[in-house]
Amino acid sequence: MMTSCRMGIVAALLLGAGATVGCGGGSVNNPPAATAAAASAGDADATAGLMEHHRHHHHGGVTLFIAMSLDTLGVSPDQQAAVERLRTDLHARMEPARAAEQSLVATLADGVATGTIDAAKVDAALAQLTAAAAALHDASAEALNQLHDVLTPPQRAALVDKVEAHWAVWRLANAEEGERAKPEGGRLATLATDLGLTADQVDKIRATLAQGMPRLDPKEIATHLGAFGDAFRNEKFDARTLKTASGANAHLVGWGGAHMAHFIEAVNPVLNPDQRTMLAERLREHASHNPSAEANP
Amino acid sequence: MNRTVQTCTLRRMAFAVALAATVAATAGCGGVEMEADYPGADYGAYGDYPPDAYIATTEPVYFNGYASYWYGGRWYYQNGGRWNHYDREPAGLYQRRMQGAQRRRTYESHPAGRSTGRGGRGGGRSGGHR
Repeated sequence: MMTSCRMGIVAALLLGAGATVGCGGGSVNNPPAATAAAASAGDADATAGLMEHHRHHHHGGVTLFIAMSLDTLGVSPDQQAAVERLRTDLHARMEPARAAEQSLVATLADGVATGTIDAAKVDAALAQLTAAAAALHDASAEALNQLHDVLTPPQRAALVDKVEAHWAVWRLANAEEGERAKPEGGRLATLATDLGLTADQVDKIRATLAQGMPRLDPKEIATHLGAFGDAFRNEKFDARTLKTASGANAHLVGWGGAHMAHFIEAVNPVLNPDQRTMLAERLREHASHNPSAEANP
Repeated sequence: MNRTVQTCTLRRMAFAVALAATVAATAGCGGVEMEADYPGADYGAYGDYPPDAYIATTEPVYFNGYASYWYGGRWYYQNGGRWNHYDREPAGLYQRRMQGAQRRRTYESHPAGRSTGRGGRGGGRSGGHR
């Protein structure tokens, strides 16, 4: 009797102690305070790579943000095939806009290489790009509806978070020079490092950029993203009811293309031959690849 | 009170203490939610929450009905449009973290990387923030 009671006491104490120690992170794994400055080199590369992508690939607008969000959404093996099929489908729907953007960037590259950018050809490519973007949402609505059906509520919420994060990064990557103090890694700062621009060249480019800069209305995009987010988190969703989508896509993609063209047109006159060759090569590289459409590694 | 009754009373008390400790510890494993700073419209000025580029390119861990991101030594998740973090790491997330870094996707090698041969062109992956 005595022995069994003593064993019971020991077992009870061990249970309590075990429960306390067994709490994974607990006091043993107390995490340090979070600091954004603690980012690793890998983080910096991934961030810079995303900024670079959003500077040069606007063609899908919000639909591209959605497709890119699927790359790291985290889906179960059961969902994988369906989500990959829908991701591929979304990229296929974006193909007309991507081709138009490819034509725009190739035109800019040719102009940089020769020193003279064909403004009429640029305007035509921009018009084609904007028209393709405006038609994108209707073409991808069914795929978005199927995507909603495939995902769980937490995955839908995570996708909305990611889409909004892409929008924030896109804005940062394409912030207008002179709009406010530019962070390191801005478009002009990145180009200056890439091409070895002198301070005088940078000043001349900045002065030209301030003239005739196309204006973005972020509220139009933000309003659509809010409507999309609210709708997509719901149990029932129909992409066809999102009336703000086509306008937002056309505005985002059209402005992205116009801003890119304006930037290259401002840079073009001040480059030396080596810088000209290098920038033309960079632009052709962007025109010829579509990294977000590649299969998820 | 004889010796047997005393011992059994002591055993009951020990069980009660152990049970209370178990409940408290289990609740602690769920994590204490602490609200993190929210960036508002000030893009680029990050407070105490994962940067947008990190959210956009990192695969979350789903826990407790939320997509959670390990960043800067804490697990973060969005609830009601605001970022929160667990003050104490939940056991489930601790176990997931021990299984490996969260997957990140790298879309482009940035210009400075191209000239030095760093990074790949498109696709690619890198480890999560640790």
